Amino acid sequence: MTTLIEDSPPDAPEKHPGPPAAVRRRGRRENLAGYLFMSPWIAGFLLLTAGPMTASLYFAFTDYNLFNSPKWIGLDNFTRMLDDPRWQKSVEVTAKYVVIGTPLKLLLALGVALLLAQSRRGQAFYRAAFYAPSLIGASVSVGFVWRALFSDDAVVDRTQSSLGFDVGGWVGNPDWVLHSLVALTVWQFGAPMVIFLAGLKQVPKELYEAAEVDGAGPFKRFWSITLPMISPVLFFNVLLETIHSFQIFGSAYVVSNTSCGPADATLVYTCYLYQKGFKEAQMGFASAMAWMLLLAVALVTAVLFWSQKRWVHYEEAAR
Amino acid sequence: MGKNGSVERRAVLRAAAGASLATVGLAATAGCGDGGDGGPGDGTVEIRFAWWGAEERAKRINRSIELFEEKYPKIKVKTDFQDYVAFWEKFQTQAAGGNPPDVFQNAVAFLRKYDRRSVLLDLKSQVDAGNLSLENFRSGIEKIGEVDGKLLGVPVGSNTMSLVIDEKVFEKAGVTPEQGWTWDEYFGALKKIHDTQKVAGDTGYFGIMYLYDLYLRQNGKAFFTEDGLGFDEADLTEWWQDGYNRVKAGIVTDPKRVEQLKPKSALASGDGASEFTWDNFTVRYTTEGDSTYGLAPIPTTDGKETGQYLGSLMLSGSARTRHPEEVARFIDFMVHDPGVGRIMGYDRGILATTEQFEAYKPTDAPNQAIAQYEEDVAEAGLLGAITPHPAGADTVEAAFLRIAGDMSTGKTKVSDAVEQFFSEAKTALAA
Repeated sequence: MTTLIEDSPPDAPEKHPGPPAAVRRRGRRENLAGYLFMSPWIAGFLLLTAGPMTASLYFAFTDYNLFNSPKWIGLDNFTRMLDDPRWQKSVEVTAKYVVIGTPLKLLLALGVALLLAQSRRGQAFYRAAFYAPSLIGASVSVGFVWRALFSDDAVVDRTQSSLGFDVGGWVGNPDWVLHSLVALTVWQFGAPMVIFLAGLKQVPKELYEAAEVDGAGPFKRFWSITLPMISPVLFFNVLLETIHSFQIFGSAYVVSNTSCGPADATLVYTCYLYQKGFKEAQMGFASAMAWMLLLAVALVTAVLFWSQKRWVHYEEAAR
Repeated sequence: MGKNGSVERRAVLRAAAGASLATVGLAATAGCGDGGDGGPGDGTVEIRFAWWGAEERAKRINRSIELFEEKYPKIKVKTDFQDYVAFWEKFQTQAAGGNPPDVFQNAVAFLRKYDRRSVLLDLKSQVDAGNLSLENFRSGIEKIGEVDGKLLGVPVGSNTMSLVIDEKVFEKAGVTPEQGWTWDEYFGALKKIHDTQKVAGDTGYFGIMYLYDLYLRQNGKAFFTEDGLGFDEADLTEWWQDGYNRVKAGIVTDPKRVEQLKPKSALASGDGASEFTWDNFTVRYTTEGDSTYGLAPIPTTDGKETGQYLGSLMLSGSARTRHPEEVARFIDFMVHDPGVGRIMGYDRGILATTEQFEAYKPTDAPNQAIAQYEEDVAEAGLLGAITPHPAGADTVEAAFLRIAGDMSTGKTKVSDAVEQFFSEAKTALAA
């Protein structure tokens, strides 16, 4: 945003030493114009994002039940959190979801993108068809459909049973229900797929031709050309999907019929945060949880950025 | 660009600035919306009324409000309803923001909680002013709304915990429940049902706080004291260990199954032959399920005492309402007007006042059965008094249900579950 404002338009010679006063005035006026155009966004940001965030940072260190005035308790919320078995459970559930769901989703996205990258008939249709679940997947109605699909005697149960693998409906089974949420996120592989596709289109054809002449097989070509060439895109997708997975809420809430159960099996982090804040009115604790989540996501992001030196290949750097 | 250009630009700038000011303005009005004084300046006031329930109750209440507005044309009632859980979530947020509805449905578990947070209107002064009558309540149930010398709620109907049974299954198994039967006889009956009818006898009694309360009352204790829990770890360990064993034995429905059926009841779906619930909920089973359902007596410990008491939904006012007099008149009309009684029926329990009770005579079997049931319980001289629950009771009830569920699936050991419940209850009751 800032670059948009501060970059001078080509005809405003502000960077030259000592521009005429009239030009300077005009430049200032244009800055003002820029800020004015931004003002709806700035107002929204301050009122709806920055303000509440600052408030929640303060609440994180207080005992606050929405009715009393917040009472400063220092780090108590954080120490209580670490001792709380349900908090530990929610971290475990979320970690499982992220670690299982994200790689599966990206693998599927990459696999299908590789297939779709080849020109063949009906390509546009397939692309749209695979992308569609990403558009509707986050909706509440799909959550209800999922609950119905994974209940006793529903489609999934029957298919499984006919394969001699009878675990009953996943929705009521604490050992299985999280997998139904993983399935729901993996099903929405269309969004990263489209990004992979764009990346694949950027890989120069000459590289493949040269490799083929040198006798490289398809696997070798994928490993030594495709993968390094799309690694920035892969990095972007890993980052985005990981952060996204940490924030899962809607599907867990709907598929479990708002209980995040059974037996806390779908008690994802945000769901516990919601229960603490809005059901039990422990806003201080809930705020502290929110900031812990932010820290965790920041940490994971930092680790990913640090790791990219080792595996992400930027073309500019190679030249 | 010439002069024209800069004029245009200025206009655009002004528009942009205007737009963002408008955004701020909107946000500001949204922040204090609904808090308005209601109504144009002709003496008409508007009060907001919120309750929990389903579509059916909404229809009845809207028709009752039409009657009210006919009699009091200067009072307009704006309504809002959700299901139970969503209602209290929304209410809590509204109340915290200083903007609760003027009048709302309430229950005994929430009186102390919201009184402590200064949300509830003490209706005593309105009674004294003659805007609200406490005359003609049946069996003294107007006492339910009195807490620490304040009148915080006015009962609309009485209900009591009951046992709902699938009559067809019970009959086929040759089991007849009788007043005063013991827990041993009850569980023996469930076993017989399981052995002969291949269906679980109960759908999960051990997670229902209000039933455990009855069991404790039969043994001279209670779930809640004035400010805490009225039982100890050993009591709950026994209650839950037995429950777990009965799930394992197949006498109680597999909790996995119960979980998936939600929001439908496992009794209505035929996955269990009986269920403990409030007697005014029983109409639901007839709507949801295919069998015929009846009310049976609560099992006892000593062959006599069931521990039952009359509970009630109530109407409460907001301490922040700007129209306490209109709120009182509205509550008065809703609990005393015979026309409202005819419309509401036993939807919220057996009508609380004699005016309404006499105005409505149920013609359908389920509602007749409810009336008969409460009469039987009263005649047996079993009704005790209920103490208002301590603040945090609602959170404790939710934790009891949830942890009992964890325990029954075998995911949590009984001893750990008991420990977890006591720890969560302690936090909730201290909050």
